[in-house]
Amino acid sequence: MSALAFELPPALEATAPAEERGLDRDGVRMLVADASDGAIFHARFFELPDLLAAGDLVVVNVSATLAAAIPGRRADGARVLIHVATRAPDLDEPWRVVELRSSDGSQPARGTIGERIALPGLHGRLTLVARYASSTRLLLARFDGLGTVEELLEYHGEPIRYGYVSRQWPLAAYQNVYATTPGSAEMPSAGRPFTPRLIAALVARGIAVAPVVLHAGVSSPERHEPPFPEQYDVPAATARLVNGTRRAGARVIAVGTTVVRALETVARPDGTVAAGAGWTGLVIDAGYGVHAVDGLITGWHEPEASHLRMLAAVAGGSLLEGSYRAALRHGYLWHEFGDSHLILR
Amino acid sequence: MSTAIITGASRGLGLALAHALAHRGWRLVLDARGAADLRRAAVDLERITDITAIPGDVSNDWHREALAAAAGERLDLLVNNASLLGPSPQPQLGDYPLGEFERVYAVNVLAPLALTQVALPLMPVGACVLNVTSDAAVEPYPGWGGYGSSKAALEQLSVILGAERPDLRVYAVDPGDMRTRMHQDAFPTEDISDRPLPEESVPGLLELIGADLPSGRYQARSLPVVHSG
Repeated sequence: MSALAFELPPALEATAPAEERGLDRDGVRMLVADASDGAIFHARFFELPDLLAAGDLVVVNVSATLAAAIPGRRADGARVLIHVATRAPDLDEPWRVVELRSSDGSQPARGTIGERIALPGLHGRLTLVARYASSTRLLLARFDGLGTVEELLEYHGEPIRYGYVSRQWPLAAYQNVYATTPGSAEMPSAGRPFTPRLIAALVARGIAVAPVVLHAGVSSPERHEPPFPEQYDVPAATARLVNGTRRAGARVIAVGTTVVRALETVARPDGTVAAGAGWTGLVIDAGYGVHAVDGLITGWHEPEASHLRMLAAVAGGSLLEGSYRAALRHGYLWHEFGDSHLILR
Repeated sequence: MSTAIITGASRGLGLALAHALAHRGWRLVLDARGAADLRRAAVDLERITDITAIPGDVSNDWHREALAAAAGERLDLLVNNASLLGPSPQPQLGDYPLGEFERVYAVNVLAPLALTQVALPLMPVGACVLNVTSDAAVEPYPGWGGYGSSKAALEQLSVILGAERPDLRVYAVDPGDMRTRMHQDAFPTEDISDRPLPEESVPGLLELIGADLPSGRYQARSLPVVHSG
């Protein structure tokens, strides 16, 4: 079996938050894969402080999730769901990158260039202006009506939800405890198992936590496209902590592929990082490698997901294959509400 | 036979709802300011059901008394739909003429409360008060300070009445953006022909009228509940 082409049994899809399964957020399972000795073992997320060492640095993405799915109405009266992905590089306020979905969000829907879609309230309409980059699914669109796009999402949006999630959960279910900067279309969900108690336990053990921002776009699991450009911000203080940690021989643990993308965007060939902010189109795979992170906390990803190629860059192909085989055999749960995976290099 | 009072029934959402209820066998008491338009609407509807059409302004006492008297001994549904947008184009709050502002509140807040007061003694357990509001009641749209804040007041009146009168069903319902005269007045220079017709909001209103949903705030085009109150 290749880890990058497996069949995900429906029973392993997490349909609801851990809290709905009677667990605390940090009670989810965590498979630990250690590339230094090839070991794979099972833990719970709240054991993280014991799996790291004093002096290690945990880097989190503090981007908060938007209610990015809004209802629209086509000229023929058909209802459609609009997934508002990201802003567009170099374009100002009313422009966004969007994806059209069926009215229940479960399927991709086609859009025609020039088409106008009526928005809720007095927000007017959305005009589909162009295909975005090389995507077959993303469109560049202009919002034209009263109020801001942020207000439109705040008053009329719901969190983006794919078919495997059983029902609509409140936006709070899609926020990490440390989320502070709104901007992600989908939850940076690797951080979901963190709780205030767990962060206190990390601090007590001498493990530091530092923020970056990377506003995540839409994943639309049906299409296997590489990740599109996303906005990031690596603050100077975080860059200093990353460099100091690695100089001291301790490990930098990225929470989520979004953090890897942000840190690797500002990494120099020698593995040190510089502060920086802007848009990143970086695509990380085994060929590119990783230079600034020594470990990754992540969820369980769809077969063929581009995330898996980044994971292979962190773990190495054979360890990743072993991890996924073990997770399938031991019934780990997939997706944003699922179980966790700690990869140490 | 159930009886309803619908204000602002000569055009737009009020007229569309009157047609739907008439076809479902309701007896209707209709109000509108424009006597000629109301007469025209009534002639159509009289072929279907028992109609009493009384032209007038809901902000007048005697007119409200006449509507309640026409309902008879029992009223099953009161639809406070008549509203006033205010000046077109709508001024910003910093320049809003206070006389106009008072007039908007008189029609959109005081009149629905006053009509509800005369209607309540006629309403049996389970009867329905349906106040038509707007998402301008919730969202900070520039230029909508008069109309929007008056609708916010009407929404709060609705949810408090619902709390005070658990024997009734009291709904504040946002019908959504519609192709109506009022909407054209709000956007005098825009082509609004791509907006849904008010008929598209009627199924949601019928759902509220017919089902046993808790009192609260609803959106007609996305029932069930937005916020229950």
